[in-house]
Amino acid sequence: QDGGSLRGAMAGVARRLLRRGLGVAAGPPSTRQLREADEAAPVFQYAGKAARRKDRVFVWGFSFSGALGIPSFVRPDAGCKKPRRIQPTPYRLETEEKISSAACGYGFTLLASNTRDITKVWGMGLNKDSQLGFQRSRRDQTKGYEYVLEPSPIPLPLEKPQQTRVLQVSCGRAHSLVLTDSEGVFTMGNNSYGQCGRKVVEDEIYSGSHLIHQLKEFDSRVVQVVCGQDHSLFRTKKGTVYACGWGADGQTGLGHYNITSVPTKLHGDIAGVNIVQVSSYGDCCLAVSDEGDVFGWGNSEYLQLASVTETTQVNVPRHLPFKIGKVKEAACGGTGNIVLTEEGNVFVWGYGILGKGPNLIETAVPEMIPPSFFGRSDFSPDIRVAHVRCGLSQFAALTNRGELFVWGKNLRGCLGTGRMEDHYFPWRVTVPGEVVDVACGVDHMVSMVRSFT
Amino acid sequence: LNAAPGRALRQRVRFLPAPAPGSGGAVELVAARVPVLADHPLVRGPRFRKLKIGAGHRLDVKASGVFVLGIGHGNKLLTDLYNCHLTKVYTVGGLFGKATDDFSDTGNLVEKTTFDHITREKLERILAVIQGTNQKALLMYSNIDMKTQEAYELAVKGLIRPMGKSPPIITAVRCLQFALPEFQLEIHCLHETQQYLRKMVHEIGLELKSSAVCTQVRRIRDGVFTVDDALPRTQWNLQSIQEAIRNCQLKVETELEKTLG
Repeated sequence: QDGGSLRGAMAGVARRLLRRGLGVAAGPPSTRQLREADEAAPVFQYAGKAARRKDRVFVWGFSFSGALGIPSFVRPDAGCKKPRRIQPTPYRLETEEKISSAACGYGFTLLASNTRDITKVWGMGLNKDSQLGFQRSRRDQTKGYEYVLEPSPIPLPLEKPQQTRVLQVSCGRAHSLVLTDSEGVFTMGNNSYGQCGRKVVEDEIYSGSHLIHQLKEFDSRVVQVVCGQDHSLFRTKKGTVYACGWGADGQTGLGHYNITSVPTKLHGDIAGVNIVQVSSYGDCCLAVSDEGDVFGWGNSEYLQLASVTETTQVNVPRHLPFKIGKVKEAACGGTGNIVLTEEGNVFVWGYGILGKGPNLIETAVPEMIPPSFFGRSDFSPDIRVAHVRCGLSQFAALTNRGELFVWGKNLRGCLGTGRMEDHYFPWRVTVPGEVVDVACGVDHMVSMVRSFT
Repeated sequence: LNAAPGRALRQRVRFLPAPAPGSGGAVELVAARVPVLADHPLVRGPRFRKLKIGAGHRLDVKASGVFVLGIGHGNKLLTDLYNCHLTKVYTVGGLFGKATDDFSDTGNLVEKTTFDHITREKLERILAVIQGTNQKALLMYSNIDMKTQEAYELAVKGLIRPMGKSPPIITAVRCLQFALPEFQLEIHCLHETQQYLRKMVHEIGLELKSSAVCTQVRRIRDGVFTVDDALPRTQWNLQSIQEAIRNCQLKVETELEKTLG
């Protein structure tokens, strides 16, 4: 009787324990248990509502000149790492400020920010002609660096350094121009042909020079500066164009083939026309008016201006009568030219790898690049090309979705596609972000990119 | 199928002895058409005892949609269709805020995140990048020398496609619906598996600084076969199958001719 009641009491205790949930039944978790575990899990927040998209700079191409601005490519930090001669795909460059304008010259790069701080322009790469200003060497305080391996501030002689903003920079073969909003244009670098806008000094030594010249005498405020190989072009608010520098190919457009050392106004077919964009990189120049007409002058050995003349040098701006629609933007390369029309179509002409397959080597009349290369299809019909840029023998096109397409000669990996071969039709560059602007040089490129989220 | 009227029996010409008219008793050989008795159903038995059915591109247990089957001689067409490398279209549904170990909503929970910072614009930007990188992969895996004029011509028309083995490539993506936390995408792809699509949804979530799981994968097109050609569960009977085969015959033939020549 005692054993029986004990067993009954034990069974009762066990049943009560199970009912209270202290003895958990084994087996796979039921849906209700899963749901409860789900709801009890902590929630992580990686980006809040106020998360902003970040602005970044990506560089690629030939790095031994220092133009990419990454010193570990040229002089590796660790002893076992090898120097990287070519960066074939976009590599992120850390900058202190948001870069609003960049320009690639022949072996050097300039980056400029829109800030009101004292340091507004940084330069890296070749500095044998002081095209990056005077970069004081740390080993010898009297001499300057000939190669600048990382973005170094350029000391501009501004009157009001904390109010002036730098709008744009441009680089040529051995000289560079910096455009400010209220203090005119600053020029530095080689001046053997007057491309810096000052009188040519015989036997001037450009290496380690402190001289930065300021240009202010134009008919109105300068809104765009463009460097050709050895000449400079200035576009003012009124729509006039000034030029100075080497003129043997007529690229100064002043009616003669001599050197000009003071910026002089251009006439010819652009007299009285409101020019809204100028472009040059080699020895040929193009200008676009507000009505969508294209004007050209300079070298025409590669059929760039063959549509109006048989001569190989044109020293006065001539109207190029193309029937391709209203032109929005033009870009000049060494041997080929590219324009973008209002409808978003891209036309190329000149000589070299133009982008329409290996069979099209030269043409004097613009040929359209089929928009299917830039992603336009029945699936996405509203993709348009927004900007076009030119390097010496490469072309770049930016779409409105922020994708970058490049084609042309792949000199030392400057196209950035990861392959070392030339591309005969537009090829997409994989950049981790939306490309806002790109600057093309001879063997390297710099792009300003916005992150996705 | 066995009850349906079969083909007419084969006939053959046999020379049968028949009494000659007039000569009384002498036997002559007369040509006559007689059915071959070996073909008779009572001799042979039922015509179909088993059917060979082959499957087209694989479909997951958790996925749904168009599934192509080949019956009998149609299996040869299946291999030809596979060699055509045509794109398939899926509608993929996703849910923001959760991450699971097998990328679908029935898996074990790994992490929960916020998603109120996600907008349709950000999603479309990510989709544009996915399309762009896959476009490049399309050109690279097609094994055509990019320096030739023919490569240029094909690229203009958009006909460059990998005609051999390749990793999964997505030819087009677009967002059909977007209502936080759910969204729906339409994906055109090649050489993919459904688990790859679920992984892609998970990676989209990561790219948007949140997390996502895939709730639904539905194939709406497999090469030339669309949802309209497909038979739902209620129509899995002999008549509908025969009709469907007849309707699709022409389409399949033209597509094979166009691609394989």
